[in-house]
Amino acid sequence: MSMIELTVNQRAVQAVAEPRTNLADFVRDKLDLTGTHLGCEHGVCGACTVLLDGVPARSCITYAVACEGAEVTTIEGLDEDAVTSELRAAFTREHALQCGYCTPGMLVSARDLVLRLPEADERAIRVGLSGNLCRCTGYVGIVRAVQSVIEARRARDIAPEPGGERKILGPVGSGRTVRTGADKAERISPASSKQASTEALSSVDAFPDFTPAAVLTQQFSVAHSPEQVFAMFGDIAAVASCLPGASLTAPPNPERVEGAIRVRLGPIAATFSGLARVERNAADMSGRIVGIGNDQRSRSSTQGEIRYRLVPIEQGAATRVDLSIGYTLTGMLAQVGRPGLVRDLAARLIAEFAANLDRRLSGTSPAAPADLSGMSLVSGLLRARITRWFTRFSSRKDGAA
Amino acid sequence: MKPAPFGYERPRDLQAALAVLAEADASVKIIAGGQSLGPMLNLRLVEPELLIDIAGLAELKQVERQGDELVLGACVTHADIEDGRIPDVTRGAMQGVAGNIAYRAVRNRGTIGGSLSHADPAADWVSALSALGAKLTLRSLAGSRIVAMEDFIVGALESALRAGEIVKTVHVPAMPASAHWGYVKSCRKTGEFAHAIGAVMIDPSAATARIVIGAIDSAPIVMTDAAELFGGRVAGDYKDRFDSRVAEAILARAGVSDAAHRHIHVNVLKRAVREAAA
Repeated sequence: MSMIELTVNQRAVQAVAEPRTNLADFVRDKLDLTGTHLGCEHGVCGACTVLLDGVPARSCITYAVACEGAEVTTIEGLDEDAVTSELRAAFTREHALQCGYCTPGMLVSARDLVLRLPEADERAIRVGLSGNLCRCTGYVGIVRAVQSVIEARRARDIAPEPGGERKILGPVGSGRTVRTGADKAERISPASSKQASTEALSSVDAFPDFTPAAVLTQQFSVAHSPEQVFAMFGDIAAVASCLPGASLTAPPNPERVEGAIRVRLGPIAATFSGLARVERNAADMSGRIVGIGNDQRSRSSTQGEIRYRLVPIEQGAATRVDLSIGYTLTGMLAQVGRPGLVRDLAARLIAEFAANLDRRLSGTSPAAPADLSGMSLVSGLLRARITRWFTRFSSRKDGAA
Repeated sequence: MKPAPFGYERPRDLQAALAVLAEADASVKIIAGGQSLGPMLNLRLVEPELLIDIAGLAELKQVERQGDELVLGACVTHADIEDGRIPDVTRGAMQGVAGNIAYRAVRNRGTIGGSLSHADPAADWVSALSALGAKLTLRSLAGSRIVAMEDFIVGALESALRAGEIVKTVHVPAMPASAHWGYVKSCRKTGEFAHAIGAVMIDPSAATARIVIGAIDSAPIVMTDAAELFGGRVAGDYKDRFDSRVAEAILARAGVSDAAHRHIHVNVLKRAVREAAA
């Protein structure tokens, strides 16, 4: 907790809040200024838009602690504002609201457009309002209202101000205080991802069949015979040591492999702990690994399978490994909603795995990457060695990347 | 959604920020405008122990012309560029890109350095600055180094930043008067992340073309000498010589396996080339 001092609606205020308290919750919960609405809470819907140092900003993805010394104007502070008064009248006249939930944010954004746009161009207004979602009106009345106010003001020879009222550089709301804020006492240990256990899963005896939500296929080749590769794929500990971020938590047997894999996609990190079962078919040198796991920290679960088939190339001197990876992800991490990014991650993971596999089969030990952070191993050289990357990606959701 | 609890520090200067960053472990995040990190925090996709807020640091908000290039501090916002509060050496190119990033309320806080550090392949600056031939100064306690944009983004959300390092400045070379610029993106909804980006800087009189195909879910395709897209040479008739089949093949080689996606990327690039020629 720390004391935060700023100016809200021209009144100096101070209140104690956690660093994670966003500006919207701060004005609503600490100051009872409930006109600022929260919709999506991740910067998309625009309901929380307020004026920060005189210009619009998202109060849901701006933390109050970062606004120390700033000037905040909420919808309550615009009662006497000339532009907003004109807009209120126009909104009433044009039926520019129904339920009213989006209206505070809509008025703040509309006010900004009235100030900045040189003329009442419908397209520019629509683009300018694209960050404020309204589910009632269909926007027609809102656009008309904004148009009419711009027209009226320009007719009265009130010139636009291209930059709003902003004169200085940098994020609005920041840099307004000389106080440096340190809140070391607030440093919180992350949830126990480090000692994540498989206890929750120990009762899992059977792997339920599942249809993966997403499937991606990849292939790579290694300069060793299919027999060698197949034999190594039977050595679960060896395979795990080649997989970046993977670790075994108990001696493995094909029926039950207990382990964890740590993956990282930019700032997003997860450690999935769980169980896997390995099936092998020597006749056609194929196999299947099916597993389930969860990441305690993000409370996300995944179920997945890897199918592989080894195909001899170069007269059997080398092997092409065809992979089909299917997975279903639920929980927080599923919100990423950008399957293409997962594909890029999988491609990098497999590239590293292939390089480690190659090294291991050649008798050198795999490099020991702490987790899949890394592009360090994925050099241009390695990329060249991975023949014909082709990936096909399908997703039940929309097939889009 | 509310973020998981985190600690917060607002260092007094860059040196102090780097010191905190250097002593910290991996669960520390630098935050500037927070317009990419904020949503991830709120969705609890990211749960750092500590945020280091650099948005107020005056050292990161300086802009100056140095010889033939403009040097922008990492904490200059998209709106600063859109509104022309900083000088321009790109004959309006950066202003045009800035004005179409997300929404105005986001542009008022979102920073150029933050966007680059986040390394989202669909972000505008990732592609636009690669086409403009920009370089970045990365700074850590140990010193600084300069990295070209095309070497900075290494994958989806993965940059060349090492532990303890931050983006300090962006160096944008002056665009020659003879160069043509085109920038087109395809978004399902205005302001959303792009599904395809084409950024081109073509100088027919110098016979050069820098071309970027962006928003492909991994690092953008940066062609510093893109003559192959124009039948082997770049000249005044480049618009007519643009070869979609070559672009298509480049995308396939880069792993864009969905034919519909390739089609969108090729056409967005074609529009960017047309815009440059217009």
